[in-house]
Amino acid sequence: MNTRGQRILLWTAPPAVALFVLAYLVFPVFSPPLSPTLTPDQVAAFFRGNVTGILGVAILCNLIACSLVPLFAVTAVQISRVATSSTVLTYAYVICVGVGTTAFILADYCWGMAAFRPDRDPQLISLLNDMAWFFFIAPVGTIMVQNLCFALSVYLDDRPEPIFPRWVAHFNVATVGLLAPGAFSILYKSGPLAWNGPLSFTLRLATFAVYIAVMFWALLRAVKHQGDDRVVLA
Amino acid sequence: MAEAPKAPTASAEQTTSRPKNRKLDQWIAFWTVPFFFNLFGLVFVPLSWMMPPRSPSSPTPHIVDFMHSHNLLIACVILTLAYGLAPVSNACYLMQVKRMSVSPAFRYSMMIGAITGAIVGMLFPMFCFGLGAFRPGYRPSVLMMLYDFGYLAFIGSLGCFCVMWMAFGLAIILDENKILPKWLGYYTIWQYVTELMAAPVWIAKSGPFAWNGLMTFWFAMTLYVSWQFIVYLCIYKAIKSQPEAELDNAPPEPLPAALETTSRTSA
Amino acid sequence: MWFFVIGDFLIFGVYFVGYMYFRGQNHELFLSSQARLNLDIGAINTVVLLTSSLFVALGTAAARAGDKVDALRRFWTALAFGAAFPLLKMFEWIPEISAGLTPGTNLFFMYYYVMTGMHLCHVLLGLVIMCFVIRNLKAPGTPKISFVETGATYWHMVDVLWLVLFALLYLMR
Repeated sequence: MNTRGQRILLWTAPPAVALFVLAYLVFPVFSPPLSPTLTPDQVAAFFRGNVTGILGVAILCNLIACSLVPLFAVTAVQISRVATSSTVLTYAYVICVGVGTTAFILADYCWGMAAFRPDRDPQLISLLNDMAWFFFIAPVGTIMVQNLCFALSVYLDDRPEPIFPRWVAHFNVATVGLLAPGAFSILYKSGPLAWNGPLSFTLRLATFAVYIAVMFWALLRAVKHQGDDRVVLA
Repeated sequence: MAEAPKAPTASAEQTTSRPKNRKLDQWIAFWTVPFFFNLFGLVFVPLSWMMPPRSPSSPTPHIVDFMHSHNLLIACVILTLAYGLAPVSNACYLMQVKRMSVSPAFRYSMMIGAITGAIVGMLFPMFCFGLGAFRPGYRPSVLMMLYDFGYLAFIGSLGCFCVMWMAFGLAIILDENKILPKWLGYYTIWQYVTELMAAPVWIAKSGPFAWNGLMTFWFAMTLYVSWQFIVYLCIYKAIKSQPEAELDNAPPEPLPAALETTSRTSA
Repeated sequence: MWFFVIGDFLIFGVYFVGYMYFRGQNHELFLSSQARLNLDIGAINTVVLLTSSLFVALGTAAARAGDKVDALRRFWTALAFGAAFPLLKMFEWIPEISAGLTPGTNLFFMYYYVMTGMHLCHVLLGLVIMCFVIRNLKAPGTPKISFVETGATYWHMVDVLWLVLFALLYLMR
């Protein structure tokens, strides 16, 4: 089976990552991450003072929001190569990716909205900012489950030459533990778990970055060795 | 901390030999369903008392009080951690529909509906309730808007589920492989009808057609929840009765005795 | 199909019971609102559906007797009458909505629009099913009688539901 399509899609990931990194570095809301303790007036003042930067990144992220989807799509194809009894893991994976990406886009919308009309009522701007952070946190849940689906497919792969080395599965399970604290940022406005804290913000984003890099390498390798192996269509 | 119970410690030992339970992936996916649904029920009922829904005509002080409840935040956290399991529950439908004789378009329609529904019908409404509790001090009119949006999105999310139940129902009715019973197909058409029944919640603010109304909530939920139970019972039976030869990882056919060699190639 | 028919009757049944209960609670309101309905179109629609059902029954009998030509003709007639129903409904609803009588006006009108709306969806589905029955009859070879009968059963159910709706919403004083 010709794996050229998969390889092309995989190689869209590095430029996507580069753009995400750029967005991250340039996003005023993230440098440093806005504190949850700011009052609505302070939040409104912040958005008023950073309109260009925020809108610029919002537009950029709106455009590149789905640019990692091809990498996830290739992962789904590789999951379906594993000889499990059904394609249930592939389906769960695909749906998780769709859901998580939607949440990310909604976060982007909310930040864009907040900066669109900065002299809006400060309470509404603060609400939009809060909403954006909630939606930014949300994909943690889908990534956790999708990674478990992937890991399970690796553990169930009983070929003599498994598609992925076992440690990739262990790594995916580990990401679950590293990403989970992020969900608790809904409960805390200060401290390491708050959305600007080291556990919920730095650790989460660092884990995600390393995860993409590792998966990119692992997928390239898997696709390279796919040869004529058949894929079960989902 | 709510985590998906899929840390595959058991199957780790089976990696080097052919697993005895070939349908492990299906069973693991299936058993997350009661776990997730129970968690969902606990989160929305006794934890946060979001359900049964409060009235759209509640007096403002009651709404403000409710929207400030800390349990709403805890509910948000649990749901954020666990809602990834909703795709798994939906994948259980998909894997049965795939076995049917109908076009793949049916299951793709269901898949797309599931993706949309998870956000507009589950996560977003939960967040609306959490946002009010996250930052005390919002004006009552803001809290009221979040309250309305939360309930309307949760109970009034219609189209994504319409397409899922229509595709699922039709697939079952048209299926020639008899994967799921025909009467379930008809019952699934009523799931579609419950979405039509829920449409008035976007209009009525009190009475039987409001989002907490007799017709639009209680009656619709009776049909909906019973269907959920029944469909998963049917899926349990379908997984169990799926012949091994049909599985994607079916064992290779044994060679006739005369041709059998000492070495067997693995799939 | 019978499973579906009985279930559908149960679902509509709950609506009917609900309607009666709330009508009892708001007698004046329901009576005065009911007076604003277009009884004429309601009555015409009843006749239309009954006629359509008649031709469906005749068509089914013809199909069972093996007379495809007759059956086809009768089903086409039934379809024509059936298709008149949604058209007439538009003539009924559009003036009402333009006059400001919407589902949000009061509880009677909510019931009215929801019940006739759900029924209309059933009618539209029934018309689609009838088209498939006609296609089955047109095809060469013996028609699938079970499918014809299923379609006919569904259509009769739609008709019966309308009779009850008409009586409750339009007629009952």
